[in-house]
Amino acid sequence: MSAPGEAPLLRAALRLLGWCGLGLIAVAVALGDFLARAPAGAAFVGPMLSAPSAEFPFGTDLLGRDLFSETLHGLSVSVSHALLGTLLAIALGGFFGAVAARLPRPAGLTLRGVFAIFASVPALLLAILVIGLSARFYAPLAAGFAAAPLAFVRAFDRVDVNSAHAEYARATGISWTTLLRRDLTYEFRDTLGTVAARALAAVTIILSTVSFLGFGATPPARDLGLMIAAAKASYLHAWWTAAFPALALLVLILCARLAAGLDESERP
Amino acid sequence: MLKFAARQAGRCALGLLGAAAAAAAISAIALPHKNGLGPFLLAAGVRLWGFLELDFGKSAISGLSAGGELAHSLPQTMALVLAGGCVALLVGVPLGLLLGAGPIRRAAAPLIQIVAAAPVFCAGMALAWGAARGLHWPVSVNAPMQGEAPIFTTDPAALRATALPVLTVGLAGAAAVQLALRRAASQSAREAFRSGLRRMGLTALEIERFYVAPQVIGGLLASAAEIMLALLSAALVAEWVFHRPGAADLFVKSVALQDWNMAALILFVFAALTFLADLAGRVGAEALASKDKP
Repeated sequence: MSAPGEAPLLRAALRLLGWCGLGLIAVAVALGDFLARAPAGAAFVGPMLSAPSAEFPFGTDLLGRDLFSETLHGLSVSVSHALLGTLLAIALGGFFGAVAARLPRPAGLTLRGVFAIFASVPALLLAILVIGLSARFYAPLAAGFAAAPLAFVRAFDRVDVNSAHAEYARATGISWTTLLRRDLTYEFRDTLGTVAARALAAVTIILSTVSFLGFGATPPARDLGLMIAAAKASYLHAWWTAAFPALALLVLILCARLAAGLDESERP
Repeated sequence: MLKFAARQAGRCALGLLGAAAAAAAISAIALPHKNGLGPFLLAAGVRLWGFLELDFGKSAISGLSAGGELAHSLPQTMALVLAGGCVALLVGVPLGLLLGAGPIRRAAAPLIQIVAAAPVFCAGMALAWGAARGLHWPVSVNAPMQGEAPIFTTDPAALRATALPVLTVGLAGAAAVQLALRRAASQSAREAFRSGLRRMGLTALEIERFYVAPQVIGGLLASAAEIMLALLSAALVAEWVFHRPGAADLFVKSVALQDWNMAALILFVFAALTFLADLAGRVGAEALASKDKP
């Protein structure tokens, strides 16, 4: 508990590892159709519940689908949906929070209060509610919306409206829009990668969980959460049906978290 | 201290009012009203007034009072959250203190990232697999088991049925607890008072015990809302994975069947629990911090 200790080298190495991992995942997603040996959802490609082998490296599921191909397709769906949600989370959370903090104080604090109410509900419940109010098609946006309130509050609280340069700008007559533009440019130039990776991790967890609960991706476009949910019927005696999609999901979230460089002094 | 507590209570009351307004807006969808913003806001106002009079409407699924339905299922969830919270403290506090130490904190950072990357439903399914394959417990993740096992029981068979959901919630809570502790320890490690106290002749143990420990415990208390959110989220997943009927499970079914009165009420109750945990945590942390102040 005592020793102050930053390990910048280790942290930089882990961040690099995270970004490299995300890069490899991006390559796997881009080449997904080429690498996969069967189209998405193709049943009876092999025998039912065949264990991992040279022919089927990840085994097959109850419908004889090649799990290696299915995991690649599922990863592709998960990543594309999560990216959409991440964009919304960044815009509505990080960006809007940073802007709201610089609005006239009553307006800014009112907005913060509204977002704090949404942040008091578990993000998972919020995402399920938004999907219920709209449609499963909008699950990626719902996940982004659910991740936004905490990001908004975090971005809002990080802004120091009484900083020396803000005081100087006000004293010299620089308009608040100019100051806002300048602040946002510098802030996002320095932190966009971290904010995006952090939002990607949060949105992926929410999105995979809502899919697992039956509110996310709709077949035949199965994401990793839906694949794991489908494996519930068989995984107790055929572990590979859930293990490989879960491992792919874990690696995706882990890479995003490492790339975000989360440390113990930050809120997740 | 009293001023601080009053300010926090005011914040909490404002938050509760906002949560009630949001829940009333959701509940208003269930009321018949004409299209347009005006009629919708009117319906939301009617529902908000109903909320303030403790009239939460009727469940569209059962036709019974939404409040009565929730009163039936909420104790199950609260028992799960309470038991999970105990596991979270039992596991998370030693883990957070151990991993909060300087050299171990650095070494554990990658490991913590790996553990924190696992979504709760993956952890729950992994626990179920371990229990079924390793301990030969009768585990069902695909169909409801016979009967409802209470959380607090001494019957071994019932204990086995409740252990997995409690562990799932507890481990998710433990992750939040240890994170809060490590964060508090990390912030405390940067405090300038350490070197000053050393120069005054205090030993490292005395500094830890009398100055750092209250700060770290205060940090944990201040993160009570975050821990509550983790426990409630995990309860939802655990109830779904292990087929335990509770408020969180009821929420999922209510949204799926568009029972907006029920969904709105559950959402309000969960938000209220978070606000109350936040209030209790902040006041507790402030009380701890101001204990030694003149």
